[in-house]
Amino acid sequence: MTYSVQFGDLWPSIRVSLLSEQKYSALVNNFDAWDNVSAKLEHLGAKDFVKEAISPQELEPESDLSPPPSLNYSPNLRCFTFPRGDISRFPPARLGSLGLMDYYLMDAASLLPVLALGLQPGDTVLDLCAAPGGKTLALLQTGCCRNLAANDLSTSRTGRLQKVLHSYVPQDIREGNQVRVTSWDGRRWGELEGDTYDRVLVDVPCTTDRHSLHEEENNIFQRSRKKERQMLPMLQVQLLAAGLLATKPGGHVVYSTCSLSHLQNEYVVQGAIELLANQYSVKVQVEDLSHFRKLFMDTFSFFPSCQVGELVIPNLMANFGPMYFCKMHRLP
Amino acid sequence: MSPSLFCKLTTVCSGESLQESSCVRPKKYVLDPEYSTQLVPCLHGEQRTRVEPKSSELEKVISSLQDMGFDEAHVNSLLSMQPTVHPQQLLDIISEFLLLGLHPEPVFMAMKKSPQLLKLSTVQMKKRSSYLRKLGLGEGKLKSLLHGCPEVFTMRQRDIESVVKVLKEKCLFTVQQITELLHRCPAVFQEDPSKLEYKFQYAYFRMGIKQRDIVRSDFLQYSVTKIKQRHMYLERLGRYQTPDKKGQTQIPNPLLKDILRVSEDEFLARTACSSAEEFEVFKKLLEREEEESESHVSEEEEEDEEEEEL
Repeated sequence: MTYSVQFGDLWPSIRVSLLSEQKYSALVNNFDAWDNVSAKLEHLGAKDFVKEAISPQELEPESDLSPPPSLNYSPNLRCFTFPRGDISRFPPARLGSLGLMDYYLMDAASLLPVLALGLQPGDTVLDLCAAPGGKTLALLQTGCCRNLAANDLSTSRTGRLQKVLHSYVPQDIREGNQVRVTSWDGRRWGELEGDTYDRVLVDVPCTTDRHSLHEEENNIFQRSRKKERQMLPMLQVQLLAAGLLATKPGGHVVYSTCSLSHLQNEYVVQGAIELLANQYSVKVQVEDLSHFRKLFMDTFSFFPSCQVGELVIPNLMANFGPMYFCKMHRLP
Repeated sequence: MSPSLFCKLTTVCSGESLQESSCVRPKKYVLDPEYSTQLVPCLHGEQRTRVEPKSSELEKVISSLQDMGFDEAHVNSLLSMQPTVHPQQLLDIISEFLLLGLHPEPVFMAMKKSPQLLKLSTVQMKKRSSYLRKLGLGEGKLKSLLHGCPEVFTMRQRDIESVVKVLKEKCLFTVQQITELLHRCPAVFQEDPSKLEYKFQYAYFRMGIKQRDIVRSDFLQYSVTKIKQRHMYLERLGRYQTPDKKGQTQIPNPLLKDILRVSEDEFLARTACSSAEEFEVFKKLLEREEEESESHVSEEEEEDEEEEEL
């Protein structure tokens, strides 16, 4: 890996974090007794990082400038973490009083793409590469999804997704028209459901660097999988392009990966935007997330030099990520 | 300050011709409360298991000690360190130590640090010195051993032998290396042999350090915790690589002295190039990893045992 070139002096601290135990956060299940759960988590010494990030903002109603559009973050997300440098673990999730699990353990950084997408009540939402389901669950937690389409190519992985939904989401929401789970090829979505969705999340398969650094066997970085690795950005561009085509004109897309590589991150974003302009005459604009990043700077370490989008880099004080995300606006 | 004690000593003194060097003024002894309580019991006729020296013997011992160069305060102190030891025996053992070529001051310091040395018999003492000499730890080196690790003289023979055995047979140090090792890090004598072997294996296989450098860097004196913390931190940072079969690495590894011998601040600033707060978190994470892998191993062992019972 040439990450030492890409990250320079930051690389050693990223590397030691990738090789050490990941930090988890607890996403509160709004479908069960969320206020009790929140109290329980606070009692353990954890804090809702979303609330912490947002509230200072609300305390300044006197600002002249209206907040830039990218400062719209998806509502109703409650997610608890232990403080910086605190390596405590959350107890495993348990069934709450309404028969659903009380919280979902996930990397806190995974919530950022969902927050950045800025769902609004009544949105139709597409999660193009949904499995194993953490972000899908988060999308549902916002309470904004009029319809949610969750897709993953792999049937075994959609099986996992179904299990998560089963444990966390009430039956009436799962079984009605509100949520649809499919195992189709994500690259086809432009043809399948073009111009359909208000919000699209494209959380692509990537080299999952954190795991790759640990596992010796079948590691994506080993020579025998070089071809696969080289083909990956192409697949990612196709998926993002399909997601953009499936968006309504005027709608928004967030592209995310758990890779550090700009070949899978910025290059893919730029590649997909070009593809859409050249082949489909569709104009897509990247949205600036620097205000958004500032909100969460106390909880996460961000890489300062992304050309487009934002990248959470792991650090021993806050061992979340890697998580790259970029927000795009399909122009009307 | 018992009056009877006072009388006893003055009686002794008045019976002999006064000479500066051999007669100790009584008041100095009275000032040492610990010592006076030892003499009091015999005057009260209580049954004690403590040695009750005759006063003339005691006086001879005192004067011999002074002849050897111990000042009065030291003599006081020596005589009260191990009440069960007969002063003559005490004198004999101190003589043995002086025969090693040590001066009174260092001998006194060693006794003070490890009063159990005074309980050794001269036979034990001679045997041990001879064994140590065989290991290559001759005169000059015995001095520093006494200073650095006096327990070397009081330890059980078989404990020392098991350490030497591990160094020779498991770690394959040469005789000269063992001598140097024991001279530089005498605390190694007191280590649990299997822990010592583990440390060696960690250095040799995990870090790729050979015997010569293990000796030179005093590697074996550092705790396993410290070694692992600093080495694994560097390794995960990407600043230390285990050499391959040819002994090569892609990056130059930091010098051992810059890893282990330096203070933590210097280690972080110069070798790891990392912050104290990150290292603190790392240490906690590592501790947890170690605990969990240990309990995992013992769980597996339990499972194996259960299977065997079937």
